[in-house]
Amino acid sequence: MDEAPVSLVNVHKRFGALTVLDGVSFDIPKGQTTAIIGPSGTGKSVLLKHIVGLIRPDEGEVRVFGTNMANAPEKAVYAVRKRLGMLFQDGALFDSLSTGENIEFPLRQHHPELSAAERRDRVDEALEMVELPGLYDRPTPALSGGQRKRVGLARAIITRPELILFDEPNSGLDPMTSDAIDALIGHLKETLHVTFVVITHDIVGTINVADHIAMLYQGKLVAWGTRDEVTHADHPIVRRFLGRNLVLPSPDDPRPAALPRID
Amino acid sequence: MKALAWIGGLAWFGVDWARSSLSCRPPAGKTLEEAYRIGVQSLPVLLTISFFVGTNLALQGYNAFVPLGGQRLVGMFVAMAGVRELAPLIAAAMVAAKAGTEMASQIAVMRTREQIDALEVMAVNPYWFLVTPRLYGIILVMPALTLIAVFVTLVSSFLVSVFQLGLNPATFLEFARGSTRMRDIFTGEVKALVFALIICFVSCYCGFVSEKGPEGVGKATNQAVVVSCILCVTFNYLVSQVLYG
Repeated sequence: MDEAPVSLVNVHKRFGALTVLDGVSFDIPKGQTTAIIGPSGTGKSVLLKHIVGLIRPDEGEVRVFGTNMANAPEKAVYAVRKRLGMLFQDGALFDSLSTGENIEFPLRQHHPELSAAERRDRVDEALEMVELPGLYDRPTPALSGGQRKRVGLARAIITRPELILFDEPNSGLDPMTSDAIDALIGHLKETLHVTFVVITHDIVGTINVADHIAMLYQGKLVAWGTRDEVTHADHPIVRRFLGRNLVLPSPDDPRPAALPRID
Repeated sequence: MKALAWIGGLAWFGVDWARSSLSCRPPAGKTLEEAYRIGVQSLPVLLTISFFVGTNLALQGYNAFVPLGGQRLVGMFVAMAGVRELAPLIAAAMVAAKAGTEMASQIAVMRTREQIDALEVMAVNPYWFLVTPRLYGIILVMPALTLIAVFVTLVSSFLVSVFQLGLNPATFLEFARGSTRMRDIFTGEVKALVFALIICFVSCYCGFVSEKGPEGVGKATNQAVVVSCILCVTFNYLVSQVLYG
């Protein structure tokens, strides 16, 4: 079996008197999509920040590509980060740069060997993948919420990372745009064949693209397994969180169909 | 206690910046962009304030010395107060008010919108990317802005002294020149460099440690200009005490 790109071992984190993560342990399988779900304020985003090294645990190990982010020197942390991409909640785009320049940004920083034309080709390719062709010159403040997410996603995949993390990809979006983002994640999953980690509390859409699910509740891991194992789990908190509205896709249609684009 | 912790944090921020950025080549384009922006942004307000500080120095000097029969001392007074103390301080205050507040608010907004986290995740050191160009940019323009402030203060006080107060221009210039040494100009330039360091580090630090949300951005901006000015004035006093005290 391939080594897990992310391995969490007994991760503890406290902020003052508040315990945010309480002994979380699981491995994120390579080449698959793992959804980390749970109610708001239960430690999902904090867990994600541990994986990218923005927060260090009080106790335990966060191994990413074999590097323990808990105590790795800055250089090693940056080396790990060059192998991953992340979509932030509202895209975290730089307003002073155009849409294309935002996507190009990591290439400019880490791939000086690429010519301007090669960078432009890569950006156009990424824009195509997120279904926003021709938006290179658009100022980022003129983008809608859904477009900002797509541009953030294009920036996350532009360096062809091995691991892509999504922090609440559906937050703040209307249901139709949210479905479109889910469909896009499903499409990228089939196209890129890399490891995806999706943090969400939007259950229905994201679970449909997940291969594995981890559920956090009050800082503890209450469920972990394949999508079927978790969605059929008897754990009362899992049942209550997933609710009665969860509709699993049929085997013939493993991912939701993309909604038609409205230009 | 809180102030001490804040100053400790500021010092640590400076050490962190030096550790992560001194060995790296600065982003050249962005540095020149910052230098241009800081210089051009601060220039109109600097020219205006320096001009009127010069006029008022001449007026107050005239009022103070005329009853004592020392009209000729106006040139000396303006040169000593303007060149040694006020012009560098005016330049620092204006740069803190224009460029410092912009640095603090920009970085605080980036903190709020997770853009600094995004830089980190993209393996770009935010100290290098955000602080270095601003620091080198302000260091490039601050001495020039100080010289401009000195020049405008002297010119405006000369104009008021000669054309409004009727002083002899040759006497004014002779006394002004006689009381200004190269060392005063050089000291002003050294002060300007230290002021640049203070303004940049304080403003960037305020942005980096700001609380999230609009209130946090406002607080960071306010704190940047207040702390920068206090530290600049304090440093200015210490230098004057050592050199002229």
